[in-house]
Amino acid sequence: MPKDENYLICRCEEISLKEIKNVKNNGLTTSQEIKMATRAGMGVCQGRICRSLIEQLVAETEEGSCKLPSKLTVHHPVRPVPLGMIVNKED
Amino acid sequence: MKFDVAIVGAGPAGLKAAIEIARAGGNVVMIDDHPHVGGKLNGQLHEEPNNGDWWIGVSIAEQLKQEALSLGITILTGTQVWSVEEGWKLFISNVDGRPLDNNMIESKALLLATGAIEKPLPLPGWTLPGVLTIGGAQVLTNQYQVKPGNRVIVVGVDILSLSIARAMKMAGADVVGIYIAPKNEFTSGISNPKELLSSFSSMTKFAPNLFMRLGGNVLKSAIGCSLAALFYPKNGMKVWDIPIHFRQSILAINGEQEVESVTLTKIDPTGNAIGESFLEKVDAVCISGGLSPQNELAAVAGCEFVRLNGLSGVVPLHDQYMQTTVEGLFVAGNITGIEGAKVASAQGVLAGSSINKYLSIGNVNEGNLERNAKQVEIVRETADITFHSEIGSARNKLQKLWEHRI
Repeated sequence: MPKDENYLICRCEEISLKEIKNVKNNGLTTSQEIKMATRAGMGVCQGRICRSLIEQLVAETEEGSCKLPSKLTVHHPVRPVPLGMIVNKED
Repeated sequence: MKFDVAIVGAGPAGLKAAIEIARAGGNVVMIDDHPHVGGKLNGQLHEEPNNGDWWIGVSIAEQLKQEALSLGITILTGTQVWSVEEGWKLFISNVDGRPLDNNMIESKALLLATGAIEKPLPLPGWTLPGVLTIGGAQVLTNQYQVKPGNRVIVVGVDILSLSIARAMKMAGADVVGIYIAPKNEFTSGISNPKELLSSFSSMTKFAPNLFMRLGGNVLKSAIGCSLAALFYPKNGMKVWDIPIHFRQSILAINGEQEVESVTLTKIDPTGNAIGESFLEKVDAVCISGGLSPQNELAAVAGCEFVRLNGLSGVVPLHDQYMQTTVEGLFVAGNITGIEGAKVASAQGVLAGSSINKYLSIGNVNEGNLERNAKQVEIVRETADITFHSEIGSARNKLQKLWEHRI
């Protein structure tokens, strides 16, 4: 039975494991590159679900100190909020 | 709104810290995105392994809440913090999108007790309605008293999935069995019966029945684990009358509009599928992929981090008194690594006293902090529930990395 890899990894942007593997096979090796190429991790949840999966696919899981928790940068807002709120904050 | 201390997360760690600070005279606000305080306590319902008492998380949460309210602590539920700025400013919004009177909270110190998030474990069909995480099943069953399904299977054999499978069974669900996670890119370490049995041997306190039947100490040796994985009964064996299948796994979840069945397979001792696959009719699938620390706010605040397997992920680097690399920013609970509610509570007390000292609230001295830090270690050593066999060594490594940094 051929392996089914059409299931989703990034649910927000509807990116499948197959799509991510395709760009990986085309030479993209970091989670940032995969995000830029596929939009995986750029949806409404901002990678809260798929971040750890993408990191595992590119083996960015080594032990040790790090300046940031992930190479997939964490930006604010860390929860979905109306744009108006962000505008008010910057005022 | 101005406070001495703002605490994000009203689980056991946050509540204990808030109480510690308010008792000393500090002015505290707690913010939690859930409708009830208590965090993961609300889903916890299990028999204590050492004395047979029941741990009823909801009652413990209620007691802590009453104590917090009697001390005048401000509690904002249904409220999320979407950004923080050093100083401290917390930007908040209502989880249901309705406007708040105040969109910002100011405080002199910040405690992040944001807990953990469940790790997804993707497989074909995992996005169908009727598939939920084991934590979701826990909240539905134990907190809201709703059965996740009538005929349920659990994927992923771990401490959490065992106790929640039991809770679902007690709630009247037909729990078909607990199956080992499928071998794929995302399941190294939890899809291999041999490795899994080995990691379980260090957590025997939790499920004594299971391990007595397996021969107890036999599992402690590497040879024992290989043999156990090889000779584990192919039809599983029952714990609390629920079959646990170390020699079967799931290939896919099937259904048109919702879960209708799962495709199962036998596996060899290293997790590879063998033989013909077969169907099992179910209406719910509960997936347990483990927990990882919820660290986004610490990232936005500019903390330094450390990734350690024993802590189950990436945590803000912190000292033995829960201070992070950012001044005035403290952490407690599962954001510092995945452990049980008792450890989180002890960490909360420690973080609370540490903040009291930082802000000169009450009369906290170094001796108090040392005692509270020692208490965390005692609770950790005597914990009934361990989520990772390397937790002790990971805590030591974290301490070394902190010292090395200075």
